[in-house]
Amino acid sequence: MANQTNTTANLADDLPLNPEDERKIDVVKHAGLLLIACAIGLIANWVGTGTSPLVALPGMAVLYVACIIGLGFARFVPFYLPSVAWVSLIAILITIPGVPGAAWVSEQVEHLNFLALATPALAYGGLALTASEFAIARRSGWKIVIVAICVMVGTYMGSVVVADLFLRLGQ
Amino acid sequence: MTGKPGAAAGGLYLHILVLAIVIVSELIGIQRLSIGLGTVIFLPILYAFALGIMLNPAIFKASAKFLSKDAVKLSGAMITVAIMPFIAKFGTTVGPQISKIIEAGPALVLQELGNLGTILFAFPVAVFLLKMGREAVGATYSIDREPNLALIADKYGLNSPEGAGAMGVYATGTLIGTFVFAIMPPLIHGLGIFDVRALAMSCGVGSGSMLAACTGGLVAVVPDQKDIILALAAASNILTYATGLYVGMFVALPLTEWLYNKARPSERKTA
Repeated sequence: MANQTNTTANLADDLPLNPEDERKIDVVKHAGLLLIACAIGLIANWVGTGTSPLVALPGMAVLYVACIIGLGFARFVPFYLPSVAWVSLIAILITIPGVPGAAWVSEQVEHLNFLALATPALAYGGLALTASEFAIARRSGWKIVIVAICVMVGTYMGSVVVADLFLRLGQ
Repeated sequence: MTGKPGAAAGGLYLHILVLAIVIVSELIGIQRLSIGLGTVIFLPILYAFALGIMLNPAIFKASAKFLSKDAVKLSGAMITVAIMPFIAKFGTTVGPQISKIIEAGPALVLQELGNLGTILFAFPVAVFLLKMGREAVGATYSIDREPNLALIADKYGLNSPEGAGAMGVYATGTLIGTFVFAIMPPLIHGLGIFDVRALAMSCGVGSGSMLAACTGGLVAVVPDQKDIILALAAASNILTYATGLYVGMFVALPLTEWLYNKARPSERKTA
């Protein structure tokens, strides 16, 4: 029993459990990695949609800058919000009609397919799975698989039902 | 140490391998399979993830020659970096639609509470049907992505039964979540019961890959509504980033605990 507890603790070492770590991120190092990610994203977009990377480049440059500013905010603003939340807020702000340059930004990012931009992250995700994650999934057994599917379906359908109800009420 | 790639070379191999996987996945493109109930959608992100797993050094031993432990670790760091341009692109879809988003405001905010549907649905299955113990609390209180898992780790520790349940759902969700979220929304849309805006704004569950799969599937079946689908999904995902942890901490977890104590009064912990 003690042995098993120990293994669980070891397995947990690899899990991404420290959202607060974003407070310590190295923005400069991330700027380099982000450049690689954006380059692969441009190629994904090229292969997936046929849009030349040169045409899509200005849009990607805007997204790159938004990401860097978002990372900086997550690192330096005194209250904690995940960098992805900052990045989203900046991206929304620069495309609201009436904000200077919003129309140009919207036009440029239109050359980028949203789904193609997610493909590199999933490729890294598949390669990043550790032996521990496979081990946890295997050891949890079939019951957890059924429960996990119920959790995903329940989370999604709960929202769908509530949203649908209030959309109808609002009409 | 001889024969093992250096850190820089390992990183280079990683990015080249990812580039190759991405090109293959995008070349295959979106595939549709019509079944009686509706359409099953296969997205490039699914192929990319599956190819990544197949070439993962823990699965495919030959990969270990090119990808060191450090490269796998770098790959983990690259997920959060590589998803950022996607999240940014998603954000840019909100601005132009801002008036429609505000119009759908009440539904958008309240559907966040709909995420508690996991407790309604998964908790009874775990406790009554599968006879699970306290693992059920960690497993079913939320969708168990990173912040939710951190909350369980903080409150019970990961060595606890609750921790085991949460980690199990986390690991399973990581492995099959993209698949489930690509398949489910188009099928539910096929039922013809729900407003496509409701299906879109429910896509934001706090995971970038689930968000991508969910919206990708919906856009594939309702392409003419693309702009509003993306905008609503993006807005709800931001709301989940902002509120998810707090809903979990103050509502979902206490509620699940309370339900468990009601369901198994004999096991009640002496507080």
